[in-house]
Amino acid sequence: MIGKTRRKRTWFVAAVLASGSLFATALPAHAETGVTSSEIKLGITLPLTGAASPGYNKIGNAMNAYFKYVNDNGGVYGRKITLIQKNDEYSPQLSIAKTNELILKDKVFALVGPLGTANFTAVHKSVGIARRGVPSLFLNTGFSGFANKKAYPTSFTILPSYAMEAKIAAQFLKENFAGKKLGLVYQNDEFGIDALGAFKAAGVKFDVSVPYTSGTQGSATAQTWVSQLAAGGAQVVVFFGVTSATAALLGVAAAAKYAPQWVLGSVGSDPLILRALGVPVAVLNGALTLSGNPSPNDTSDEYVKQFQEINTKYNPGVAFDDYVLQGMNVGLMTVQALRAAGSNLTRKGLIRAMETKGSTFASVAYSPLGYSKTSNVGHTGYYMAVMDATGDRKPYGGSAVVYTTDSGSGPVVKSTFKRPAMPAKGLPTNS
Amino acid sequence: MRNFKFKRSLTLVAVSSLLSLTVVSIPTAARAADPACTTANFVTSCVGVTSDTAPYSMMVPANFNGTVYLYSHGYRPNVPVPAGIPGYGGYTVTNTPQPGPNATVIGALLAKGYGVVGSGFARQGWNADSAIKTNVELVGLFKKQFSKTTKVVAWGESLGGFITQALAEKHPDLFKAAAPLCMASDVTPLMTMAGDALWGIKTFFDPSIKGGNYSAGAAGYAEAMGDLVKVFTAIGALQAAMVANASTPAWPATSKVPDAIKAIPSRSALVMVALMSGVPLQSAHFDGASGAAAMGSQITSFQIAINPAFAALENLANAAALAVLATHDLELQAGGPVFDNTATDYAARIADEQFIWSSALSGVSGTQGLLSVLAASPRAKADPAALAKMKALASHTGKVEIPTILFTGVADPVTVAGNQQSVADKYAAYYADKWAAAKKAGERKRPVNKQLVLWNFTPDKYTKFNGITPDTSVPAATGTNHCNFTTTQYLAIADLLAYAADNGVNMSGGALLTKLRKAGNMTYDRGYSAPKMKYYGN
Repeated sequence: MIGKTRRKRTWFVAAVLASGSLFATALPAHAETGVTSSEIKLGITLPLTGAASPGYNKIGNAMNAYFKYVNDNGGVYGRKITLIQKNDEYSPQLSIAKTNELILKDKVFALVGPLGTANFTAVHKSVGIARRGVPSLFLNTGFSGFANKKAYPTSFTILPSYAMEAKIAAQFLKENFAGKKLGLVYQNDEFGIDALGAFKAAGVKFDVSVPYTSGTQGSATAQTWVSQLAAGGAQVVVFFGVTSATAALLGVAAAAKYAPQWVLGSVGSDPLILRALGVPVAVLNGALTLSGNPSPNDTSDEYVKQFQEINTKYNPGVAFDDYVLQGMNVGLMTVQALRAAGSNLTRKGLIRAMETKGSTFASVAYSPLGYSKTSNVGHTGYYMAVMDATGDRKPYGGSAVVYTTDSGSGPVVKSTFKRPAMPAKGLPTNS
Repeated sequence: MRNFKFKRSLTLVAVSSLLSLTVVSIPTAARAADPACTTANFVTSCVGVTSDTAPYSMMVPANFNGTVYLYSHGYRPNVPVPAGIPGYGGYTVTNTPQPGPNATVIGALLAKGYGVVGSGFARQGWNADSAIKTNVELVGLFKKQFSKTTKVVAWGESLGGFITQALAEKHPDLFKAAAPLCMASDVTPLMTMAGDALWGIKTFFDPSIKGGNYSAGAAGYAEAMGDLVKVFTAIGALQAAMVANASTPAWPATSKVPDAIKAIPSRSALVMVALMSGVPLQSAHFDGASGAAAMGSQITSFQIAINPAFAALENLANAAALAVLATHDLELQAGGPVFDNTATDYAARIADEQFIWSSALSGVSGTQGLLSVLAASPRAKADPAALAKMKALASHTGKVEIPTILFTGVADPVTVAGNQQSVADKYAAYYADKWAAAKKAGERKRPVNKQLVLWNFTPDKYTKFNGITPDTSVPAATGTNHCNFTTTQYLAIADLLAYAADNGVNMSGGALLTKLRKAGNMTYDRGYSAPKMKYYGN
């Protein structure tokens, strides 16, 4: 009896081992959260509704369009990318909840392009992004605080910081508007603080300075901004805020026939969105703006041309603007990062790939990428552009003169960087 | 920003009662060394007093299976509270024994064959040291009375959670498992949180609030009760101002901050007080995130600037009463003032969060203005001897050798989630050391993890609206308020305790996840870490 039982057990164990090995063969080569043999699951939080949503609500769909294009062309090492978008309504508390959903419920492999400084600060602190080892690629915020690689070891920015932008703007103001009365309207949080610090360090003093609290922008509050600017006699007004606030400012100023030289920060200067929000195109004519990318209308640019084609097919009916361009570009960079991490995809491998190969990625922006083992900083420079009578953006002076700098005390220098070519057909083949 | 004007029915200062007294009363005849027992409906109920005069209650069913649940109740004030004080008004000091969280849970445990036991303790207020002794004696009394007893498990809430964790740490020989719920951690961080909140309310809204350093005897009692009235008067004024104009609510008439500061909406000062003391910005009815569709283009400003301020108001109303009563109590025990913020850097305190809540704080300039008030205001100074005495009270090491189950709401405004997190962190460090030592000794198998940490998360969005007016008549959201658990959750914890007592380890894997899913709003997530409290005393 004992012998019989033992034989049965031996047979059972052998069967389990055999089935186990068969089962193991059928599994993907590895088991990383959000990755199977056929799919890579990614997530993004952004405002799809609410006052801050205009423009930003196009980024996720643009990324998705690019990923669909890649998926239709073989995916990434045979895996198709699925992007899950969560609407955080620009509320940090909701960003926490939605990111928790992405990580715990949807089990995404990585976050790509999460938007908003307060939002990602809240997420990083409360969700424990670094503690969980979740890669957070291409943060859609220019807060220089995220460049602290020790504090944000799994996160990587894409935009030049607000401090870099202000340093480059400061140099431009000094070279072109010396002696003019300067005004500044800025978002009264880390966005504005970054800019204020950089302007101050560069020796630029504003005659009129108007802070506004995020979320309060609207025509009523813009009336007070314009009154202060006009009363102070500001001849050149620099604006560091989101697009909905730019629209309020320009709209009210136009109605009040207050027409200073506008210098718009990169964040809130998309002409298509501004026009959609009611800003007369005549007001935009001559407005200066800092830009890192070519105009979305510049079809002579190989990136723009390719992305426009993808947008037409995979994002039909959606006007191609700065936000769509940015979303597509985040998609392009994401695919390169996934490829660089290899077919045996892991979160650690992705972070390693960003650190070792990220600076070589193709990107639509004209400035170099700063990724390395010690830096999680993305693009590092801007050029000055001017809007024309159609609201289109052209390089100031005829050609894009790109300046690069850092978020600290480093100098502003003219860039000699040569942008990598767009991968053939917009499909990366890097490894 | 548009003015939000709400219906007057919006009521926030309805402080949830922390007092949960059960049905058990002690017959006069039972005040003796031996318990007096009666049997009815197949349940034997005994009452008596321990050697330190703490009344207790034991209940055992006819089909007693040998396992008994020792329950430790939460904080009860050690002074009577006059009528009219929200939440506590009309309270008289009681040491009525409490053998379980509520009658329904007690009934369910008895029906399953378990025994229940609990004390009312010899004194009220912060009584952990004496309550631990009482409970140890009570275990012996129970076993003597019911010789079929084979296993004792401990559980408790709030201060009772503190006591339960201490029992697990100090008396693993007496208990098979323990579950500290919505637990208080050490007294120093708790009293710092209370002190910061009171000092913040005093500084911004009514400098005549003492906030501590109460006189001895009847005079001190009167001062503390006077503070309660003043605190709730200020909170009531803030509530009325926010209902009238949530965008730029007026400051209470009692506020003495400079006029320039009063240009900052008073709601931002509320948010500042919550942040600097560690009170969460999600409350029973305000999720810190929602707006009403009817708000139109103003919805975002409500979501990021006003909703969090309402949450701060509601939570501070919940926490303030306990802060006054506990401060009065601890000062009496320690012999002098125990809150000291002479060296506190409030700017550093909020550095991690000020950009997250920038809109609610009225931007950087609003934040700096409010911080300037804190920096310029007279600070509270503790008596060193009193402080030393308070710090000598029982504290947690986090080192447990019996299975323990921690569970709390992430937006508990009184024993904030950082209390549970601190004990989880201490155990994690202990476990890591233990594992390192084992590896050094050649051991290849990890030691068993004895601590199961569970969280009650809030829903994504839960603020309800009638038009644009927040609806505060609906029940508090799960994960909010103090020790806001359902009967199903209590019973799930009881089941987990029974499993742990039977098996020597906590339930894990699919069985655990199924149990939690069925109970609802109980999450096991090893990657989650609750925000730390603002000060742990080191």
